[in-house]
Amino acid sequence: MFFHIVLERNMQLHPRYFGRNLRENLVSKLMKDVEGTCSGRHGFVVAVTGIENIGKGIIRDGTGFVTFPVKYQCVVFRPFKGEILEAVVTMVNKMGFFAEAGPVQIFVSNHLIPDDMEFQSGDMPNYTTSDGSVKIQKDSEVRLKIIGTRVDATEIFCIGTIKDDFLGVINDPTTV
Amino acid sequence: MSHRGMDRDDEDDEDYEEQGVDFDEEEADEEEEDRGGGKKRRRSSYIDDDADEVDEDEEEDDDGDDDYDGGGKTSRKRQYKKVSASNFFDEEAEVDTDDEEEEEEGEDDFIVQPDNDLPEEDDNRGRPRHRLPPHQEDHEDLEAVARSIQERYGKHRLAEYEEETTDVEQQALLPSVRDPKLWMVKCAIGRERETAVCLLQKYIDKGSELQIRSAIALDHLKNYIYVEADKEAHVREACKGLRNIFGQKITLVPIREMTDVLSVESKAIDLARDTWVRMKIGTYKGDLAKVVDVDNVRQRVTVKLIPRIDLQALANKLEGREVVKKKAFVPPPRFMNVDEARELHIRVEHRRDAYGERFDAIGGMMFKDGFLYKTVSIKSISAQNIKPTFDELEKFRKPGEGGDVASLSTLFANRKKGHFMKGDAVIVVKGDLKNLKGWVEKVDEDNVHIRPEIKGLPKTLAVNERELVKYFEPGNHVKVVSGAQEGATGMVVKVEQHVLILISDTTKEHIRVFADDVVESSEVTTGVTKIGDYELRDLVLLDNLSFGVIIRVESEAFQVLKGVPDRPEVVLVKLREIKCKIEKKISVQDRFKNTISSKDVVKIIDGPCRGKQGPVEHIYRGILFIFDRHHLEHAGFICVKAHSCVVVGGSRSNGDRNGDAYGRFSGLKNPPRIPQSPKRFSRGGHPSDSGGRHRGGGRGHDGLTGATVKVRQGSYKGYRGRVIEVKGTFVRVELESQMKVVTVDRNHITDNVAVTPQRETSRYGMGSETPMHPSRTPLHPYMTPMRDPGATPIHDGMRTPMRDRAWNPYAPMSPARDNWEDGNPGSWGASPQYQPGSPPSRSYEAPTPGAGWASTPGGNYSEAGTPRDSSAYANAPSPYLPSTPGGQPMTPNSASYLPGTPGGQPMTPGTGGLDMMSPVLGGDNEGPWLMPDILVNVHRAGEESVGVIKEVLPDGSYKVALGSSGNGETLTALPAEMEAVIPKKSDKIKIMGGALRGSTGKLIGVDGTDGIVKVDDTLDVKILDLVILAKLA
Repeated sequence: MFFHIVLERNMQLHPRYFGRNLRENLVSKLMKDVEGTCSGRHGFVVAVTGIENIGKGIIRDGTGFVTFPVKYQCVVFRPFKGEILEAVVTMVNKMGFFAEAGPVQIFVSNHLIPDDMEFQSGDMPNYTTSDGSVKIQKDSEVRLKIIGTRVDATEIFCIGTIKDDFLGVINDPTTV
Repeated sequence: MSHRGMDRDDEDDEDYEEQGVDFDEEEADEEEEDRGGGKKRRRSSYIDDDADEVDEDEEEDDDGDDDYDGGGKTSRKRQYKKVSASNFFDEEAEVDTDDEEEEEEGEDDFIVQPDNDLPEEDDNRGRPRHRLPPHQEDHEDLEAVARSIQERYGKHRLAEYEEETTDVEQQALLPSVRDPKLWMVKCAIGRERETAVCLLQKYIDKGSELQIRSAIALDHLKNYIYVEADKEAHVREACKGLRNIFGQKITLVPIREMTDVLSVESKAIDLARDTWVRMKIGTYKGDLAKVVDVDNVRQRVTVKLIPRIDLQALANKLEGREVVKKKAFVPPPRFMNVDEARELHIRVEHRRDAYGERFDAIGGMMFKDGFLYKTVSIKSISAQNIKPTFDELEKFRKPGEGGDVASLSTLFANRKKGHFMKGDAVIVVKGDLKNLKGWVEKVDEDNVHIRPEIKGLPKTLAVNERELVKYFEPGNHVKVVSGAQEGATGMVVKVEQHVLILISDTTKEHIRVFADDVVESSEVTTGVTKIGDYELRDLVLLDNLSFGVIIRVESEAFQVLKGVPDRPEVVLVKLREIKCKIEKKISVQDRFKNTISSKDVVKIIDGPCRGKQGPVEHIYRGILFIFDRHHLEHAGFICVKAHSCVVVGGSRSNGDRNGDAYGRFSGLKNPPRIPQSPKRFSRGGHPSDSGGRHRGGGRGHDGLTGATVKVRQGSYKGYRGRVIEVKGTFVRVELESQMKVVTVDRNHITDNVAVTPQRETSRYGMGSETPMHPSRTPLHPYMTPMRDPGATPIHDGMRTPMRDRAWNPYAPMSPARDNWEDGNPGSWGASPQYQPGSPPSRSYEAPTPGAGWASTPGGNYSEAGTPRDSSAYANAPSPYLPSTPGGQPMTPNSASYLPGTPGGQPMTPGTGGLDMMSPVLGGDNEGPWLMPDILVNVHRAGEESVGVIKEVLPDGSYKVALGSSGNGETLTALPAEMEAVIPKKSDKIKIMGGALRGSTGKLIGVDGTDGIVKVDDTLDVKILDLVILAKLA
């Protein structure tokens, strides 16, 4: 799920940036630092949308670095248990397949793939129904439900299922 | 004395017989009533023991025999046994109260090998005989003993005869401070019983002299016996002279633990159908079996096993052919295939058992669905702590039946204490409340209080813990706390009754575990990831100087993916085999000379892993460890040569330019040589620099080459020197203090002497360097004095700030990319500091030396330029020395440096030209690099142009006329911005250094980094370093 929230961060700025463009430098550094990161609480920071407030900087002894408390608005993406997501399959193997929804990697175990889908190894490994009508392979788009998440410092890893009503392939690249 | 101990400590023929003796002779009557019950137990256990043996002996004969065979030899044996047993028991017939049971047992365990029993009986008869006389001699003494015994056990008897014993009374029986103490005495392993019996014998022989009360040998305790006595001295006295007791260590058992010594774990096994058990003895020893029927009266169970039957042997046997007995051979477990048996002409009968179940009977053995159904004594199976592995269960499940909950639930009979914890989600699997989910609230002894999930039920329900199973849902994050996968964490993807399928966090593989072995863990761990200082994904140096990344942490050991490119090599190493963690931040160059540092995303363009892509986790010795999360093997790590990778987003052109430059270098196929040349130079005249800065790279594929090392073993122990070459496990080290190169085992050196390496450039071929060795060697000794006082301290002190300054202005946003190490002239061109310069420059000197000096305290480039020229060849330190007037414009006069640097002096004679090589190097200190009339490449502000040097200005810069013939515009350039155009074969050249400096000539050939030059003036042919040759305009 996406959220638009306000976060705060203490930015350390090198003295060489002091000057007219300090604010710009600060913002660009903030974006560079923050976008694409992941925190367990908020999920992935997708984009910084605005600056609420930049506090007074404190000069650090010894280094000359200045610490600014910066409040910024940003869009974050955090997957939740039970959430339905659409994702692109990135890899298929006999244990299941990996899919990505933006920055989030989701693994769908073969236990969580409908039983009528069988793994077909080969050049392009895939899961296919017995009648061959549905096929999950690399680059397929699937709708899945997240049943578990694990949050690391740097990534969120999810377990998903497509063994439920209305879940499964929504767009097959091979048929397009 | 010993009865008490013996009696509790379960039976054995020997004890038994000893006791028999005791009773017979001394206090049989008293003992009789006293011990009626105990006796019975003892005997039956004795027999069971026997039965075990029987089973064992009987094994190869055939297991079926004992159950179904009624004939021949066995029955004879049985008869014999009956006789022998009754003989045996006759001696104490008065004690026996339960003959029937005994008979029965005897029947079951019909075979007793005669040789087993007879001697015992002899013993039995023999011992009393020679023991009797003394006792008979003084009857009074006997009576005294009897009295004392009565005294001692009198009160016990009273207690035992209490109708009902209350807890308090039980408490009163516990040992107190006034009671004799229990001492633990060390004895020979395996001689515990013997020792106890010896003490017993001693007591019998010596009577009251011995002041110990009892001696106890426990079956489960090796190496020790217990002796009950009031004082340690009594124990010592008693043990004196016993050959099995050595070492005078006698330990007191604390009162509190005394009861534990003798408490016997209740053997009451709750065997039910479908319990998993393991066979204790015989062919099937250790095999998993499932109980199908229990006969509590006869103490027998029928179990289902996977047969281990050698059909051929069976066929042979049934046909009466000779059976070759091979004791060591145990047939592998395999399901019985009736058709197969028929093929071997084994008769297969169909039978029905009491319940009407159909069995295939082969030679007295019963089979069903391929399983063997075997009836055995309860004693011969163990039901405690059975933890079937998945494989085993899988096999049992194989023919049909599917996963039956009941059978799995019996596994829980052996759960540890504290299995359920408050808050655990559980589900009831048995009884009326089956399928009720809830959470554990409180755990009592056997009962677990759960808070049911369904409303309308009492707040908590007490449920027997055996009826409960932990409950998980897909998506739960759990941690495995016991079993083979202990320590792993993962997310549940599927729940199959009591089996969970997890996706491991670390390996992304499926793991099957029992729900029982798992706890829900909100903590997100990746299993055990750390032992000691080493963590998963660390780059470590191993014992044999190989290195690798830890890809899995197991208990006590690591799996390490070794740094061998092309083929993944995984080794299991113990903690002690790891030398250290490698935490250096190094950067290398990819195929197109883009710099790769840690965390850069690279793509593999060569080798088996071609096409893979991922961030670089570690760099070491030109090897990259790339983490590709899609790579399922080796925890996602791929080990690959830096050279077969390309930085994603890196430019090709970058490299191309260099490539061009190299191309000009007389068309050498191997571009890397060029950057090496200046380094070689600096090594010649600039020893500390090469020792430090270029260590670890630059020359040779091995990081060691060039490193300053100390020999720590062998005849050269303590010597310091530089590594010249690495040859397998040996290194050639040039000793500093002696003028020689020695070969030392690689393991015998330490290389922590040198400054940290900064450059890792595996691509530089070693070959190019080799020709240098002979000439270089004699030079080094001279340089040593110079290095020690001056260079080294300066370097350490100076280099770091210098570096900082070098990159800060140019690359403010990416400190990780250290331009200074970059070796990429392009980035330098962009630097504003170069602006004042004028066109021609030489790419190969720009990156390394020039860059360094650009920011020395010496000041601007015009000054820096000149000292560089000299210092590069002769006395590097001097410009850095604070005392040296760095700011002073220096002219290309070598003499001016000589006074300040003794190092320069010895080298000068080199110019005399002892051999072909030495003049070149020796004469390095002559003059600056660039000279008028030579063709140079000028790069400034990113653009590159060719020009001709017109004039050398006094401030060290050059006047350069652009254009290849020098007719373009004229500008002033700093040396750092220029590099001499590398001559190709048959180009006209000018020699820029050495004794022949200033001479012109023709390049008639190129040999590695040396050029073969025909000097115009003398028409001599000289071999000179290419670096000092410049193309003439």
